[in-house]
Amino acid sequence: MSLIKYSCNYSLFKHVLQNNTIQKNSTRFLQTSSVCLKNQAGRYRITPKGDFPLTYEMANPPHRIAHRKAWNSWNTSNLDGGVRSAETAVEDMFIRKFVTGTWHNLFASEVIIKRQHNIIRIAGIITRGLSPRKMYFLIGYTEELLGFWLQCPVKMELQTIADRKDIVFKYI
Amino acid sequence: MLKIFRIIERNTIEKTCLCVRYSSTDSSAEKRDEFRVLNIRKPKGRYQERKQPRTLNILPPRSESMPVDQDWGNVWPGPRSFHPATVPLPVRQGYVEKSGAPPSKYANAELVKIPNFLHLTPPVIERQCNALKQFCTPWPKALDTDEKLEKHFPLQITSSDYCFSSPSIRNPLARIVTLRFKLGSLGLNQRAKDKFLRLVGDRYDEESDSVTIVTDRCPLKKQNYDYALYLLTALYHESYNVEEWENLKTEADMEYYDWLKNKSKATIEKLFGKPHGEIENADVYADSVDKLMNEGENTYTLDKYGEAVRKLLNLPTKIEIK
Amino acid sequence: MSYLRQILFRSPGTLSNVVRHLCTQNVAKVEATQEELDKLYKFVELELRGNDPAVLKSFCKFAVTTGNHLDINTKSWTLRKPNHERYTVLKCIHVKKKHRVQYEYRTYYSFVQYKYLTGSTADTVLEYLERNLPEGVALKATKVEVQAIPEYLVPPESDKQSNTTVDT
Repeated sequence: MSLIKYSCNYSLFKHVLQNNTIQKNSTRFLQTSSVCLKNQAGRYRITPKGDFPLTYEMANPPHRIAHRKAWNSWNTSNLDGGVRSAETAVEDMFIRKFVTGTWHNLFASEVIIKRQHNIIRIAGIITRGLSPRKMYFLIGYTEELLGFWLQCPVKMELQTIADRKDIVFKYI
Repeated sequence: MLKIFRIIERNTIEKTCLCVRYSSTDSSAEKRDEFRVLNIRKPKGRYQERKQPRTLNILPPRSESMPVDQDWGNVWPGPRSFHPATVPLPVRQGYVEKSGAPPSKYANAELVKIPNFLHLTPPVIERQCNALKQFCTPWPKALDTDEKLEKHFPLQITSSDYCFSSPSIRNPLARIVTLRFKLGSLGLNQRAKDKFLRLVGDRYDEESDSVTIVTDRCPLKKQNYDYALYLLTALYHESYNVEEWENLKTEADMEYYDWLKNKSKATIEKLFGKPHGEIENADVYADSVDKLMNEGENTYTLDKYGEAVRKLLNLPTKIEIK
Repeated sequence: MSYLRQILFRSPGTLSNVVRHLCTQNVAKVEATQEELDKLYKFVELELRGNDPAVLKSFCKFAVTTGNHLDINTKSWTLRKPNHERYTVLKCIHVKKKHRVQYEYRTYYSFVQYKYLTGSTADTVLEYLERNLPEGVALKATKVEVQAIPEYLVPPESDKQSNTTVDT
């Protein structure tokens, strides 16, 4: 017990001593920031070979939104005084799931959803993996079903690329 | 070169093998009693030709075959996401950290994201405005200033429309109607004005002499507008309406001092022995007493009051004490 | 619709004449045919809200160009500071109170004002602009309509005498 007390006192003494020296040197060894400040969401790690392909969207982390890259959803519900923010978010998520599933393994970019009045525009870049006939069918299918579910006119505005490598921005 | 030779070699070997196999199968059909040969490398039956990868016949971008003097409004008639094959501009978008050109318009998702105004080029706006002009009427030239407008049309009715992205176009805020007018434009008499001000309360702004009535209790804009006009009518007629109990108003209930109804007037008349209209300088005196009582005692009102009393009683003017 | 304009153009004399003419005609018309007169707007103000200031700038330019083509007195301005709405939430859903993440909504404001519009012009312009509103931009159109005092707002007969005596 006494040993502990002693050690405590000793450590206190040492602490005071250190503080004095610190004040003399006019520097402080205090860490105020949290230990782990690592942001991981939407960021990609460098691979050892440096051959991991990134699109422009992937190459810019989320804090670059509005500076280097734009939003994937364009609507007025997140503005000051906007209405239907929760519904819009859920609907956007549903559209994304539906489109990526319907156009399986075809979308090379993110699904971009733009809302103008009650029109929903779904834009994106796809690879030419399908015959044009099937692609037209899928466009009509997506527009018709989403229009029925969301009770809005839906438009698909797509671009095609020959190869997935066309959309690669850089390799890390 | 060596590789190519090798491939050719292999192909020839395969082909010969194939021939041999074909022949062998034929012979096997004839001689059923012989043992069949188990072929591990190649499957039995007809050799399946390998499907050639389908080559899509992709046309070159439309923008390359566009004439220089085309009408852009016909190419891009309405709002639409950016499409690189249709837009003949060499636009680029994107941020590149090291020195280098930003990504080009092909396979560039950033250009698709940003709302474009390619359907609203200046010549197109001009053309559409010229077409819209037939639905417009010019502003009457006689009402060219705010003063004239306010003189002839004193009521201001403010309402808002809202546009936003949603399946429904309804916005509850669109129902609010604001009615605003100058109190002087109603032409009320003094008593009615006093009552009107008491009825509207803090909706009256003294600085600009304006009354603001905001109606938002009905669900529709039209109903709120009708209600605002109803309120105006009701206020107007109510302020002219004289209730019986209003005549019971005594001097103690007055909100301001009126010399004509007070004891000061009676005293003056008694002192001079004639009605106040005939007394010299009585109006000046009445005015100064009104001001003294309504505005409160300060140097200015007290001085005025003193002067008025001296004038009324024909006393010499105040001697300046030095 | 353009009835008012016709009257005002037909008699370019003194304003009082015009107004008297208008009033008498007005009453007669209302009684006779119930024809709806064109409204008069002192000004129509568009308040635009958007996430991206560049889009707002383009739209303001479009709105001003439209106003100039249709001979309307137009002006446009922006608020210097956008509205930043921030949410600070825990990075991990249940624990680690020290580790937060911030989300931010930015709203940029722009304004366009059209002065002195007749009802038909205002309807046309607003329809045109609203149809061409880009994605991610909300619009609030405030219309300030001017009206004459309704003719039924006259003092009652008993008060007319006192009204004149007191006012004069």
